[in-house]
Amino acid sequence: MNAGPYSDEKVQKFIEEEYVPLKSQCFWKERTELMKQFDIAWTPTFLFQDFGGRVHRKLVGYIPVDDFLAQLKFGKGMVFFEKERHEEAAKRFRMVIEEHPNAGAAPEAIFFLGVAEYKKTHEASALRRAYDTLTEKYPQSEWARRAQPYSAIPK
Amino acid sequence: MAEIKWERDFEMAIAKAKKEGKPVFHDFWFDG
Repeated sequence: MNAGPYSDEKVQKFIEEEYVPLKSQCFWKERTELMKQFDIAWTPTFLFQDFGGRVHRKLVGYIPVDDFLAQLKFGKGMVFFEKERHEEAAKRFRMVIEEHPNAGAAPEAIFFLGVAEYKKTHEASALRRAYDTLTEKYPQSEWARRAQPYSAIPK
Repeated sequence: MAEIKWERDFEMAIAKAKKEGKPVFHDFWFDG
């Protein structure tokens, strides 16, 4: 059911180079311990986990190739972001924004790029840039609305 | 072609992630 994106060479390369790939089979009649541990309620479910096993992002349902690639890059960015490794996070968020502008993760990447840059530099103008970019490029997105509080920050 | 070499064991994957300094991409799938 979810073999589609894995047949793409870019997806294969990114997963092999950037992640340890792990597959866990699900059984609904008798849920596995991992299904119980991570509250798996539908498939496919994708988890982005650090090497302590903590989950930094969870996606449910089939994802087309370009969105999938964007999520792979964004997911790695979120692992870094939540570990306060802001420069490495920002690099992945920029990859999503520049390489996958039509992907569903792109507006979220702009939002978190602003936050990562702010946390790294303590310059609030990074948050304002995120708001400006979101309202210009993705005005209908939830992330543009969530960035609205940053509109009061001077440019 | 960079064929994906999937781990099938969670603990092995976590140990490999620690060793290689990479996160884990974990796909829960159903053969149905």
